[in-house]
Amino acid sequence: MTPLVGQVEIRDRSEGGGCVAENGAFCFDWAVDNFDRYVTPILEHLVLVTASVAAGFALAFALALLSHRRRWLVPPLIAGTGILYTIPSVAFFVLLLPITGRGTITAIIALTAYNLQIIYRNIVAGLANVPAGSRDAGRGMGMTPGQLLRRVELPLAVPEVVAGVRIATVSTVAIATLAFLAGAGGLGEQIYSQLDFKTNIVLAGGLCIVMAIAFDLLLQLAQRLLTPWEPAQIRRRHAAGADDVLAAPA
Amino acid sequence: MTPPVGFLGAFGDAVEFIFNPQATRFTGGREVGGLDQVWDLTVTHLEVSGVALGIALVLALPLGVVLGHAGRGEAFAISVGNSVRGVPELALIAFVAAFIGFGFGNVAIALMVLGVAPILTNSYVGVRQVDRDAVEAARGMGMGDLQIITRIELPLAVPTIMTGVRTGAINIIATASIAPLAGVLTLGDFILARNVYGDDGVLAGAILIALLAMTVEFSLAGLQRWLTPRGIKLARERAAA
Amino acid sequence: MPGESSHEAVSVEYRGVTKRYQGQDEPAIRNLSLEVPAGEICVLVGPSGCGKTTAMRMVNRTVEITDGDILIGGTSVRDREPAKLRRETGYVIQQIGLFPHRTIAQNIATVPALLDWDGDRVKARVRELLGLIGLGPEMADRYPSQLSGGQQQRVGVARALAADPPVMLMDEPFGAIDPINRERLQNEFLRLQAELRKTVLFVTHDIDEAIKMGDRVAVLKQGGVLAQYATPAELLMAPSDGFVEDFVGADRALKRLALMRVSDVDLWQAPLAFVGQSTAEIRSKLEGAEVPHALLVDSERRPLGWLSDRDLARDTVPAQPDSSSDPLLDRDDVLRDALSDLLQAEAQYAPVTDGAGRIAGVLSVEVVSDFLHSPEAAVEEAPAAERPLAE
Repeated sequence: MTPLVGQVEIRDRSEGGGCVAENGAFCFDWAVDNFDRYVTPILEHLVLVTASVAAGFALAFALALLSHRRRWLVPPLIAGTGILYTIPSVAFFVLLLPITGRGTITAIIALTAYNLQIIYRNIVAGLANVPAGSRDAGRGMGMTPGQLLRRVELPLAVPEVVAGVRIATVSTVAIATLAFLAGAGGLGEQIYSQLDFKTNIVLAGGLCIVMAIAFDLLLQLAQRLLTPWEPAQIRRRHAAGADDVLAAPA
Repeated sequence: MTPPVGFLGAFGDAVEFIFNPQATRFTGGREVGGLDQVWDLTVTHLEVSGVALGIALVLALPLGVVLGHAGRGEAFAISVGNSVRGVPELALIAFVAAFIGFGFGNVAIALMVLGVAPILTNSYVGVRQVDRDAVEAARGMGMGDLQIITRIELPLAVPTIMTGVRTGAINIIATASIAPLAGVLTLGDFILARNVYGDDGVLAGAILIALLAMTVEFSLAGLQRWLTPRGIKLARERAAA
Repeated sequence: MPGESSHEAVSVEYRGVTKRYQGQDEPAIRNLSLEVPAGEICVLVGPSGCGKTTAMRMVNRTVEITDGDILIGGTSVRDREPAKLRRETGYVIQQIGLFPHRTIAQNIATVPALLDWDGDRVKARVRELLGLIGLGPEMADRYPSQLSGGQQQRVGVARALAADPPVMLMDEPFGAIDPINRERLQNEFLRLQAELRKTVLFVTHDIDEAIKMGDRVAVLKQGGVLAQYATPAELLMAPSDGFVEDFVGADRALKRLALMRVSDVDLWQAPLAFVGQSTAEIRSKLEGAEVPHALLVDSERRPLGWLSDRDLARDTVPAQPDSSSDPLLDRDDVLRDALSDLLQAEAQYAPVTDGAGRIAGVLSVEVVSDFLHSPEAAVEEAPAAERPLAE
């Protein structure tokens, strides 16, 4: 399956002709011919990202519901989920190995941990930013707390929540390149296996960036579909993620 | 495959590795590990990170502050911060190694890029968020731009700016972990050269990196507390109460 | 007990209501007792912090009562589950609080949806209410951000009326609107009330709004203490103490004029002159007349202008008088506006016509002043909904 850390696969590159032999910046022909080698890493990478963002979202959502009516929980939860940020992902993947073993699950656990704080923070902020007038009106008209949450607060929190998921997803795509340290493959595995081959680096790195952009655009589209009521300029402000300038995991 | 149950043992072995040089079956008798080697790698790690952070600060902080003061370039400042989020560290270091070449300088520059983004964004936003009324009042009292920046905007922006600095620092320290791929031997070497250091070494590397990162974060948090004007600290406590 | 779609208004009664917040020595509301008769608008007015909003919110339990009770139609609010109670009480707040993520139609349909009305009934009701508040049916699918402030507030009122609640709570509903639109909204609400006859608790800090909107006005002091609970006219004519007097303002007398029409006043009569009449006749009529000027009218007795001494020096009354008849007032005009027109034109006398334009009498500052001092000034108040509106 995935090569052990530290071993470098030696490939025969003589077939690429001049460009490859000279290790040119990007050998297009070679890339096209050998693209199938990248398919599995791409798929592995996609699985890692979607699984961990989904898990992170589910957990963050549960925590946010928990702390919605108990605001005193918010600071400790933010601090708690934030501790994980400080640990560089390189270290985190490795530290989990003795505890959860090698493999995709371990990597997903680590990636989820990195997602958690940012999504949680954004859900909490989104709920807090619901206009006070709407909340007062909803309550005063006879909505129970549950109805208020479902019909008013959560829908209005969507922009902020999606912004958080977008940021988390883009970060996760980047961090997942180190998932191979936990034995989970991915595009990072591909880079690491041929570190001196420039075309490989450009291609694998480029695919990462393309994936990040693709996710970002997809989520922006999702946000637009979910919030038909937002006037354009507010939507643009949310899109820029201007509201969140704080820590990103490394 | 290491069984989950034995993890305490694994950690124990790793700690052992940190303190005592040992010969692993990979190295054929040569000793690796031990405090001396740990120290060397740590120093290199801090050096390359420090240089990168220093340059990033010098470049990004003034730029962000000036842009924030003038209120221009918001799209630039914010999107720089966001786009760097998506850069895979491995690809960055591998790129440096393959295209630019091994070496301390090259790595430092690559790391600097990672640090510039959050510092620029947070400097801009931090200054921008300063109460405009306070700035207007200062202007009305005859303060020049430089005085406004140094006496009002910077002190009030300290929390946000320092958060950006901390983020940048952690990004840099984290990416410096894989600098061995470009020839700069930092603590990450323990992890990346498993055939040299063995499983114990790998785990030891992870522990050391985590500790280093937490120490730096802790110190910077302390620095932030020290730099934050007392008035803001009081206001925050009152708001949180 | 108000049923789900009660069309009959019910009374609201406060009995010794007290509200104490934790950690505060003084109660926010102390022993408030008053009764709002069914179908009337009761305005709670007072300075900031007097507790008027708190008092209103205790009716639908968005603020809980510490001591005492509030009865709606004879049933205690404490016996009812808060969410259910609120679905049967209309609620309009100052920030309006429309849900930005829902269309106008969905906003209006909020409480009916909570009550599980079926789709067709909801649609019909939304259409009905849009018409009632003067918005076209195409507005139904717009979002609040696409509406002006005044339109949003109207939707807020429609939303509160959707389930046809017998009681309406309104907390400074027009406070966030500019003065011009505020007046229009007030007038529209009064028109609605004339039709719907809800029992309304209306909170405001503006005494003029209180006098205009209220059938009864409760003036509250700090601590929710009731200083006076009376009709607007009584409030203006007989303030119960210094606080109320100060709060109502020094121009109480002028404020009363806003409550009346020109027709409420005994007008003076001016001698009438027709074209071609002999001026000698007119001159003899002028002696001892209430208004010492002759008014030229046409064959339908519509005013054409005032006759000057020069006009009367001729043999017959000329067709073109020297002075115009401006300002021309109508019997249905609000007395305060009529007086304002008079003063602005710097005229001493103004002819007052009836609905068909025929002369009914003459108004002057002295007429108004005489009236205010006369015993007839203590007139029976028409309900707020039927009072003259400042157009």
